Amino acid sequence: MANDRREELLKELREGVVEFDEERVKAAAQAVVDEGLNAYDAIMNGLAAGMEEVGELYDQQEYFVPELLMCADALYAGLDILKPHIRPEDIGATAKGQVVIGTVQGDVHDIGKNIIKMMFEVAGFTVHDLGRDVPLEKFVEEQLKTDSEIVALSAMMTTTMMGMKKVIEMIKEKNPNVQIMLGGAPVTSDVAELFGADGYAESAGNAVQEAVKMISNLRKLQNQGQQEQKDS
Amino acid sequence: MNPKERVQKFFRREPVDTMPLFSGMGTVTVQAIEALGYQFAKVHTDAEMMANLALKSAEMYGYDGVVVPYDMCTVPEALGRGVSLYEDAEGILYPTVPTKWANLDEVDLPEDFSTIFSRGRMPVVDEALKRCLDYEGERGKLAVGGWVLGPFTMAGQVIELDVLLKGVAKDRQRVTAFLDRMTELVIAVARHYQELGVDFINIREMGSGTDLLSPRMWKMLIKPNLEKVFAALEVPKVNHICGGTDLIVEMMNDCGADAISVDQKNNVAESRRKLGDDALILGNFDPYGTLVQMDAAEVPAVIRKCIDDGVDAVWPGCDIWPDVKQENMEAYVKAVRDYGRQPTPAVGRL
Repeated sequence: MANDRREELLKELREGVVEFDEERVKAAAQAVVDEGLNAYDAIMNGLAAGMEEVGELYDQQEYFVPELLMCADALYAGLDILKPHIRPEDIGATAKGQVVIGTVQGDVHDIGKNIIKMMFEVAGFTVHDLGRDVPLEKFVEEQLKTDSEIVALSAMMTTTMMGMKKVIEMIKEKNPNVQIMLGGAPVTSDVAELFGADGYAESAGNAVQEAVKMISNLRKLQNQGQQEQKDS
Repeated sequence: MNPKERVQKFFRREPVDTMPLFSGMGTVTVQAIEALGYQFAKVHTDAEMMANLALKSAEMYGYDGVVVPYDMCTVPEALGRGVSLYEDAEGILYPTVPTKWANLDEVDLPEDFSTIFSRGRMPVVDEALKRCLDYEGERGKLAVGGWVLGPFTMAGQVIELDVLLKGVAKDRQRVTAFLDRMTELVIAVARHYQELGVDFINIREMGSGTDLLSPRMWKMLIKPNLEKVFAALEVPKVNHICGGTDLIVEMMNDCGADAISVDQKNNVAESRRKLGDDALILGNFDPYGTLVQMDAAEVPAVIRKCIDDGVDAVWPGCDIWPDVKQENMEAYVKAVRDYGRQPTPAVGRL
């Protein structure tokens, strides 16, 4: 019975996100909390799963950026309710991760950045959002200050993309283990590789897919970590 | 035939001696910046420097035309949104708009848009255009292009884009009314440049490709406003959109412009098939990939493909990123001159 109810609420959350129905998502999220179901499960398998579907609809050119933004609003409506109820043991070691995110100096477009930020938040990361038009050295300072494992940089225009290369060089010089993720319309896999980045997303929709992939990798790592803990 | 005549005849679809080499977006190169000893950040506020840099880049590489200004903030700045020039930043950055209106309630536009022509850097642009129009080099006069953002892209420069995009679904009436005002603004600015005597005007509705908006929304929200803009202009005009345009290229061609300009995401061979031989198609190489990243030896094939696919003039898909390799620029120019001797679908040769 409990499992049926879980499935029902996950479906509500998922469909609410896909159909950008904030009220429906809020109601389902509140029901998860009121009925004592697992909030983290609801986020990952309800909200994030819905956003994964949204990413697919974008790729199929059924959804475009306005729909993505409205779906994101619906997701946040659920996340706000569910997040305070996540139990520490659900998140595990990887979710203690931190990410520094921002749009590089000279670029004031931040839609893609905000979508990626949302997906990091869904995954339980602590997000240090530097905003847009961020001076390059600020990324380095913030990474050092917070000891974040990931730095995510976004540029919408070719003319600002070069700034990313400088940031990557500065960060990798100080801390070669930091994972760098690039995003934005002019960024291709070739550019990401050339600049020495560890991952990339070329569009807002693609950013969702990339972030979903990233989250599923994190979950695998997390499961491995838990298994190793048990084994030891 | 001097460069200006070549471009003018091209837009009239009259035979030319060879394919005109020009663009409706910025063609500033770092080689010209260095030759003049300018700092790029200082160029945007000085009419003489703005004009000199455009002319120097054109003369260095044999371009037939020039375009000013180089940034898209002149109009938003004149509307009171300010400008970030990045004078202290290392390297080249284009100016941006620092303070957009947060929502539609905050929007405060003048009743009469001609009042903005004396504000901010608008007079600087006018003066730079006049200098370019007056210029005559060894090859004769150059074609001078003016450009204005399209109504939707202009709206995204003065108000937060997510407010605009979500508003399309949630607050349609007010967003439509706001876009109507943006259309009046674009017409006022474009007509102003027309009166100054520019040879063509490029309307850059670059934020409206199908990476962002559905074809259905484009038809409903973008097309009617572009139609109004093009109907209000007599000078040759170009409808430029970057990003995904395959799904909207026929509608783009129906907006009333003399030519359409698309970037590397467009399948030009297919667009040519859809639009027929009468349409003037400009495009469509990736300026960063081709002029900054590639080996110079690979450049001619890129240019040849644009021509083989059916463009009437090879245009970069966006502003040329100034930090181009000199040998790549030279290879691009030579390829246009060599492969551009043959007639194209819409324009014959003398």
